[in-house]
Formats: sequence, C-alpha cells, structure tokens
Amino acid sequence: MAKPLSLAEALRAYTQAPRGRRRREGLARAVLALAGSLSIGITLLIVALFVHGSLPFLRTVPLREFLLGTRWAPIHEPATYGILPLVGATLVTAGIALAVAVPLGLLAAVFLSTYAPAGLRRVLKPALELLAGIPTVVYGFFALRLVTPFLQRFFPSLGFWNGLSAGLVMGIMIIPYMASLSEDVLYAVPRSLWEGAYALGATRFEALVRVVLPAALSGIGAAFILALTRAVGETMIVALAAGRTPTWPPDPTQPLLTLTAAIVNIATGDHEATAFIWSAVFAIGLLLFLTTLVLNTVSYLVIQRFRERYA
Amino acid sequence: MRRRALGWAFAALAGAAVGVSLLAVALLVLITALQAGPITAMRAVAEAGISLSLRSLEIPGTREALTYVPMAQVAAGSPAASLGMARGDALIAVAGTGVDRPSRAWEAVGRAPGGRSVTLPVVWLPRAEVTLGGLRMESRNGETRVVLASPSAAAREAGLQPGDALLAVGGIPILGTRQAWEALAVAARTHGVPVELVLERESERLTLFWDPTRQAELTFVRDPLRAWWSFLTTLNEPRYPERAGLLPAFLGSVYVVLVMAVVALPLGIAGAVYLEEYAPQNFFTRAMEVLVANLAGIPSAVVGIIGLEVFARALGAGRSVLAGGLTLAVLILPIVIVASREALRTVPRTLREAAFALGATRWETVRHHVLPYAFPAILTGTILSFSRALGEAAPLLFLGAFLFVTYVPQGLMDSFTVVPLQIFEWATRPQDGFAAVAAAAIVVLLSLLLLLNAGAILLRNRLQRRWSE
Repeated sequence: MAKPLSLAEALRAYTQAPRGRRRREGLARAVLALAGSLSIGITLLIVALFVHGSLPFLRTVPLREFLLGTRWAPIHEPATYGILPLVGATLVTAGIALAVAVPLGLLAAVFLSTYAPAGLRRVLKPALELLAGIPTVVYGFFALRLVTPFLQRFFPSLGFWNGLSAGLVMGIMIIPYMASLSEDVLYAVPRSLWEGAYALGATRFEALVRVVLPAALSGIGAAFILALTRAVGETMIVALAAGRTPTWPPDPTQPLLTLTAAIVNIATGDHEATAFIWSAVFAIGLLLFLTTLVLNTVSYLVIQRFRERYA
Repeated sequence: MRRRALGWAFAALAGAAVGVSLLAVALLVLITALQAGPITAMRAVAEAGISLSLRSLEIPGTREALTYVPMAQVAAGSPAASLGMARGDALIAVAGTGVDRPSRAWEAVGRAPGGRSVTLPVVWLPRAEVTLGGLRMESRNGETRVVLASPSAAAREAGLQPGDALLAVGGIPILGTRQAWEALAVAARTHGVPVELVLERESERLTLFWDPTRQAELTFVRDPLRAWWSFLTTLNEPRYPERAGLLPAFLGSVYVVLVMAVVALPLGIAGAVYLEEYAPQNFFTRAMEVLVANLAGIPSAVVGIIGLEVFARALGAGRSVLAGGLTLAVLILPIVIVASREALRTVPRTLREAAFALGATRWETVRHHVLPYAFPAILTGTILSFSRALGEAAPLLFLGAFLFVTYVPQGLMDSFTVVPLQIFEWATRPQDGFAAVAAAAIVVLLSLLLLLNAGAILLRNRLQRRWSE
C-alpha cells in the first residue's frame, strides 16, 4: 500500500505538475511549429539561393539574349546563352508526353471511377499506383534501349537520341499520375449531379459527358497543369534518351537538350565551383523553379476551390 | 439503342486505356528482364578468367575497319590462365563462332547446348611477342617495311626466319609493328586458319600458310543463381561489364536512404502534426500548405542543385553520403508531410475529445492517442516515400555522378553512388554488355521496390487489424 503523502508533498505535486505539463506543452508546440515552418524555410532558401546564384549571370547576359537567343553554347568561345532551344526542346518532349498521358490518364480515371466494377477496381488501382512507383531512370532505360530501337524499325531516320521516344515514354510515366489526379477530381463531384442527370433520362455516358465532366472541368484543368509541370521537370528520361544537343528549331526525331538536361549537362561536367557557367545553371534553375511554382500554386488553389465548391 | 451503344463503346475505350497503359509498362519491364539474361553467360566467361574488350583495325587502302577482341585481363590461377592465355591475347572464336565483338563470345557460351557446365573449343591468338617475336621497321629502297628481327619459337617453327619482311596477311597490307599482329588477328577471324602470309626473304616473295592460333577446350559454368549472386555481392569493376558488381551502389542506396530517414521522418511527421493538430486556420498556415504542395512539385534537378550548393559546398559536407541523404530529405519531406497529414486526418475527432475531456493537454492527446492510432498509416506512407527515394537519381547526379565508385562507403563523409545512378551510368555506355548489366540492375531495383511496397501494405493490414481488435 502506498504511503500517504504529506501535505507539503501534495502541495508540491499540485503546483509543479501542471507547470511541468504546461512547459512540456509549450515546448512541444514550439518544436512542432518549427518543423512545420521548415517547408517555408526551404522554399525561401531555394528562392534566395537561386536569385543569388543567378545574379552574376543576369548582370552579364542581357535578358533579351537569354530569353530570345536561339543558340545555347555555354562552353564555347565566345559563349552564347540563348535559352530558346532548351525551352523548345522542353515544350516538344512535354507536349508529346501530354498528348499520350492526358487522354489515356483521363480515360483511365473515368473507367476507374464510373465503369469499373468494385472487384476490378481493387486490382487496377494498386496496379496503376505500382506503375507510378517505377523510378524515372528505369523509364529512361526503356526509352533509350527499347522504344528507340523499336521506332527505328519504322522510321530509320530516327536518331539514336531523340525527343520522340523520350516524350512517349514520359507520357506513359505520367499516365498513372494524371489518372489518380483526375480520379480524385471526379470523385469530388457529388452524386446528386449524377442522379439529377439520370432522373432526366440521361444514360451513364450522357450524364458523364454533359454533366459530370463539365462540372469537373476546372479540376481536370488543374490536373493537366500538374501533369505539365511533371513533364517539364522530368530529368532522367530526357538526360538518357533525348540526347545532349541544343538544336533550333527543335525536331523531335533528332537529339534535343531540354532545360533539365542542360542543368545535368553542366552539373556533371568538370567545371570549377566558381566558374561563370554555374550561374547559368542557377538561371535555368530559377526559371524552372518559378515556372513550376506558379503552375503548381495555380492548380493547387483551383483544386482546393473545386473541392470546397462541392464539399 | 444508339445511345446505349455509344455508352458501351466509350466504356470499352476507357477500359482499353487502362489496359493499354498497364500492358505497355508490363511489356517494357518484361523485355528489360529478358535483356538481363546474358549476364549468366557473361559471368561464366569472366569466371573462366577472361575479360574482353573491343578494338578495331582500319584496313589500309579501304574505308573499312574490322574489329578484333583482345583479352583485357586474364585472371591469375583461372582455367583460362592455366591453358596459357594471357593479357593481350586475342580471342578468335568460341564454339566455332568467330568473335568480332565481346557479346559474340558471351552469346556463343550462352547458346551452347548442354547443361550448367559446358566445355567448348576456344581459339585464340597469343600476344605479339609469342606469336611473332621482335619486329622492327626498316627502310629498304625507300620503302619502309616491317621486318622480323627475332622470331619467336612459334614463328620459327612455322618457317619464319630472322630478316623476313612481312608484307601482307590475308590480303591486309602490313604497315606497322603493332599493326602486323592486329592484322594477323583480324585475318585469322575473317579468313580462318591457316592464314596466307606474304613475306619477302632475300628479295624474293614467299607465301606461307600458317596457323598462328592456339586451340583448347575451356569449361564454362553457366549458373544463373551464381551469376546474379555475384553481380549483387561483388565490387564494381567499371571497365568490364562481365565483372560489374552492384554492391557499392546497393549499399550506397541503403546508407543514403537511412540518413534521409533519420532527418526527414521526424521533421516530416512533426510538421504534419503541427499543421493538422496545432496550426490555427490563418494565412500563414494556408501559405504553408501551398508551399508543401509546391515543394513536392519542384523538379528534382532543381533539388539537386540545392543539394550541391547548400549541403556539399556551403555546409562543407562534400559529395558525401551525408550530403546525399540531406538532399533526398529535402525531396522526401513534403511527401512525408502530406502522407502523415492524411493519416492524422483519419483519426476520429471523438478520440481527441475524449482525451481532452479527461484533462489531457494537446501534446498528451497527440502523443498517447492520436499518433498511436495513426501509426500504421504513417508507417505505410513513410515506407512508400522510402521507395520513392530509392529510385531517385536526378538530385544525386550532382553529388556522385560519373565518379567511378568501386568501393563501399565506410562513413558519412565518403563519396557514394546509388543504384539508379549506377543504372544511368551503365545505360549511357555504348560498349557491349553494359545494357545487359543495366537491365540486371533494373531487375534488382524493381524487385526491391516491389518488396518494399508489398511490405508496406502487409504491415498496414496487420497493424490495423491488431488495433481494431
């Protein structure tokens, strides 16, 4: 049996315990808040780092030449820093990727959310998630060693490195991403919209095309933008399969150099840490970062608003 | 009726979209796995002691170049060495197949009928000193010629004498001392033996039919299990795909992901707890949410620059395991936060309210009730973020790329490579055999990820069941 407390001990227990708990509570809150704001810290750090790093570049190279120049030759003498070939290459590969991923991903989302029986859905959805887990370097290998040789049978003029197979494989990679984003959006559309359409005599297809898809349009648009940023930021597939030659105008059947591949190209080259060329990496990185920041923020807010509207 | 048909057609189309996507990737994975097949035969040749390389010889007077396959290494004490093969010899044929590139030899060993162990005839041309002996260039009547200064025992046996000028072999003009032997190797492969050797002795042309090659039976052990095991457990020999090993990259991956986990998991889960349990709904929190979503969308190449600039250079970690782990942590942090928040959201409100009603503070509620309840889901999300990190190559490209790491990192500050980077490096190399090795590494990586994902799902099911009992 426990010894009864003396009055002094009981008093001490009464006054200290809550303070200890309160102190622990405050400490926990502070630590957690710090961890929570780390993402803000990282983002600010990135912005500061990239702005600071690209300052020498932006001071030296006229913005006009950088953004509108059509020759990218940073290690030539004299060096030219026209980014248009890189932007063009990025748009070409991303365009091919989206041409594959958007229709297929959207159809897959529609199938999974409206047509597939529950049993089939339970199998297909994890399978698609598994595809999303395949590393991009593996997709790069597919593009370089399997898809390009296969396409070369039909188009002998296709280069060993080319934007076409990089884009196609990137599209396959993005399908599960696009599918899961659009499926979330389709799920957020309330049942009452379906039921209203059915009540008016619409078939499932008519309800989908006339009512549900238009209602989900803004969300699907946001999913499209997210898929686009994914394609623009993709690195390993293009670094492996698209080649390392900046060309203008970009031709998908020939080697291309995308923005991300250009970063890889310089970063894996043997340059001094203080070399001017690094500031070009930061300038491209800044451009990529700002683009994805804007696109991501827009689509995030659109999807949030979309969910709230139907919540 | 038409309306229904249209609907069904669309449903079929949508179903086909899912099927095509899944099938396309399944097919690509399958073909890649098949491409890894040759490593069994490659290892068999390597275990017999022979590492091969590829050289080409321009044929004078034509634009043609013919290839031959020198033995870049013959392991001491190996079966090949005991037959007298040595570094610098040229492999001419295996099992009757002319070897014009290394893959031909591997194919011949792989295809030969028989069981696990096959004994095949191997034809090779010993290196120049053994086959020909000492050569020198000599000018006679304004023409430079390759003259046999001190014929080797084998050459003497074939009837060559000191002072013979070598003019052509198998129709290939002989122009240099090194090229004489190379021409012999190419001629032996393309025309077969004996080769036709044209020489000049005391101003007279002679034609000699000569078989300079040697032939022996060599036993190759084709054991897929052993081949894969040694691929997984040996250090990498960067020059020869038949001796490529995944061990440094594999352990590098494990170490980097461990460092990442130590950093990213506590921070990510803590951040999620703050956002979900503590944060007031205001502009600041909303901005934080947008930024977390954004961080997850930053191109991984951009994250790589941060890793190089902040961790490797500014913090002085260098291109090390530590810098790699921290870089991956930046990449994975938003994923851990999002997954943990979703897990926390599944905790019923009533659980929290019950704890509060009993006088628990917020931290006590979180620590004793919310976190344990959400634990299985957090664990699953965490393991999935691990598998993402294991496959990530782009951000680490800046920290370890193209460093030939042939050893296992011993500490946090050692340089490293990871499996995806090793795949990238192998996939970019044009030489024979590296595609097969890259495919083998892909098979290993995908199996590992599959195992990890399956483990996550299994763990979740088991833990959840126990919790609900």
